[in-house]
Amino acid sequence: MAAAATVYNPVGFDFSNQIRNNFLADRGIPLPKATSTGTTIVGCLFKDGIVLGADTRATEGEIVADKNCEKIHYITESIRCCGAGTAADTEFTTAMISSNMELHALSTGRKPRVVTAMTMLKQYLFRYQGHVGAALVLGGVDATGPHLFTIHPHGSTDKLPYVTMGSGSLAAMAVFEAQWKPSMTREEALDLVNAAISAGIFNDLGSGSNVDACVITATKTDMLRNFVKPNERVTKERTYGFRRGTTAFTKEEIRNLVVHEEIIGVRDDAMDVDGS
Amino acid sequence: MSIMEYNGGSVVAMVGKGCVAIASDLRLGNQALGISSNFQKIFPITDHIYLGLPGLATDVTTLKEQFRYRVNMYTIKEEREIEPEAFAHLVSSTLYERRFGPFFIEPVMAGLTKKPSGEYKPFIAASDLIGCLNFAKDFVVAGTASSKLFGVAEGLWEPGLEPEDLFETISQTLLNAVDRDAYSGWGAVVHVM
Amino acid sequence: MASADGGAYSYSLTVFSPSGKLVQIEHALAAVSQGTTSLGIKASNGIVIATEKKSSSILVDDSMIERVAVICPNIGIVYSGMGPDFRVLVARARKSAQAYWKIYGEYPPTRVLTQELANIMQQATHSGGIRPFGVSLLVAGWDVNRGSTLYQVDPSGSYWAWKASAIGKNMVNAKTFLEKRYNDDISLEDAIHTALLTLKEGFEGQMTEKTIEIGVVTVPTEEDLEGWSISSANTRPKPTFRKLTEEEVRDYLAL
Repeated sequence: MAAAATVYNPVGFDFSNQIRNNFLADRGIPLPKATSTGTTIVGCLFKDGIVLGADTRATEGEIVADKNCEKIHYITESIRCCGAGTAADTEFTTAMISSNMELHALSTGRKPRVVTAMTMLKQYLFRYQGHVGAALVLGGVDATGPHLFTIHPHGSTDKLPYVTMGSGSLAAMAVFEAQWKPSMTREEALDLVNAAISAGIFNDLGSGSNVDACVITATKTDMLRNFVKPNERVTKERTYGFRRGTTAFTKEEIRNLVVHEEIIGVRDDAMDVDGS
Repeated sequence: MSIMEYNGGSVVAMVGKGCVAIASDLRLGNQALGISSNFQKIFPITDHIYLGLPGLATDVTTLKEQFRYRVNMYTIKEEREIEPEAFAHLVSSTLYERRFGPFFIEPVMAGLTKKPSGEYKPFIAASDLIGCLNFAKDFVVAGTASSKLFGVAEGLWEPGLEPEDLFETISQTLLNAVDRDAYSGWGAVVHVM
Repeated sequence: MASADGGAYSYSLTVFSPSGKLVQIEHALAAVSQGTTSLGIKASNGIVIATEKKSSSILVDDSMIERVAVICPNIGIVYSGMGPDFRVLVARARKSAQAYWKIYGEYPPTRVLTQELANIMQQATHSGGIRPFGVSLLVAGWDVNRGSTLYQVDPSGSYWAWKASAIGKNMVNAKTFLEKRYNDDISLEDAIHTALLTLKEGFEGQMTEKTIEIGVVTVPTEEDLEGWSISSANTRPKPTFRKLTEEEVRDYLAL
């Protein structure tokens, strides 16, 4: 009923191109690569809450598609989620859960809990049997304290004091295993997350550029976008500005968006109905 | 062979000082065979938004029509023109709807956003074929020459280009990149806003 | 029952009476005018919507009653009429707002959400097997396009924009009162007081923070607007609609 009255997309996916695309795949034409986040993402528990961290590189095969993308997604004010894997999947899955969490918060009149988000995510990912390629690090603080989870694309979850995910997870985990200790201060935890992400940025080719971090405590969430920028590009010494007129063209069209209109009355008696 | 190479084609968009530009080649091919040298890949959405659709030609036409429909419905329903940010999200959600049977298109958008203060702010964005948005501050590229475009644009683009200089930069970027791409070329068109 | 006023035409709500009336819709309006009074006032720098919250017995835990509902961060609604019908509409409106957000990356303008609600209510007037909604709504919200706007939606599905309006039991008196009190450059603070004063007319019993519910729309500053970058996934705009807490309501009542 509502669908007929609106132009909103219907729920669920549209498979109508599948026959064509499968035919092409059978003919040996592969699907173009979707943007993926090779990625190093981490999360770490400390005395007062959770620190999440992520690099900012998005890749399309061997090409860096985005040098400064955002991988720490908003779920609620005090719950955030880092995403690795197929970039579109992490983006849309977290957006959908964020939306559901807001509805949940409105209908219960309470601040939603981290386990709620985790359960929604794992059930959704399990339903798609790994075809929705999102590997997530979910962290936040709720009425029951700080919580940190990893969620795998097939829907399995872990609850640990320090976690890593993505292609740089091994590099980052090495740092955590060597340096993590219980009840760290905010500064210690932030330094450790920075070290772990940096390990991914410099040792994993799928990760790169800057460090994003997010500190969540019971009272406040600090999103530290581009917390550290170890790969800032230096300004070019010389410029490659072309002299105006370098590029020859065959036709030029200028669209004037400011419309000047003059209304000219054709006759005085505008309401001449009988046409006599 | 990738399906993107079936018809070929490339698009690039760049930010300038208070202006944006979007440019594409004009080739339509059947793999290595050139069919047309006047195939439109960039479409006006509103006076302030242009959309480039490089990829499989049949999907270029389908998506162009679909966006025309959705934007017209938006304009009628909301009694206002769609803003570039909202349009980018519309493109993204339209593509993700077909996550498991995508259109073979990698859209590129360029537009001007009206700020509350009344001045216009340049806006560019690109998306992969399943709707992952990339809001870049400098330039975005897509199509069969994308890897070459990335390289050339990275070298030629600089901040604060005036419209006339932006035209030269984007034109030279596109022309030099498609010259080294067998599936793109055969003429070009540049739009500067 | 059926022959009381509509005769045979009141059985099916999809049948017009010879005089061109859909009697069930008029009955629905009657249900609304028995409901507790709600009102909305558009001020120069925001909107206030307010209602009285009356429970049938002192034994009812009134912390559970919610008559002013947040739909999304920029829109809130209040109703007069049947509580259960309102609850259904709130759920539908919230879902619709989220569906819009998922497509456009921003929340719907007040007018679009109002149309959505009006559509749902209109469809109930000509669909088989269901009855019209027994509520009138006041929808208050802020958006970039039209600024703050106040709409009223009736069971028939018709909607209007108002500077100030009242619905429910005391609506005629309240509207007359508002007409006398209203001027175009009233401030939000004054509007809240006017709203309370209007409710006071014809209020049975004591007006306290337990028996009054207030929602306000505030207009974001230029700075706020510049700061809201839609392309950043991690900055959410500050809500422009919020419900006043019991403490805040008490403070306004004390003045």
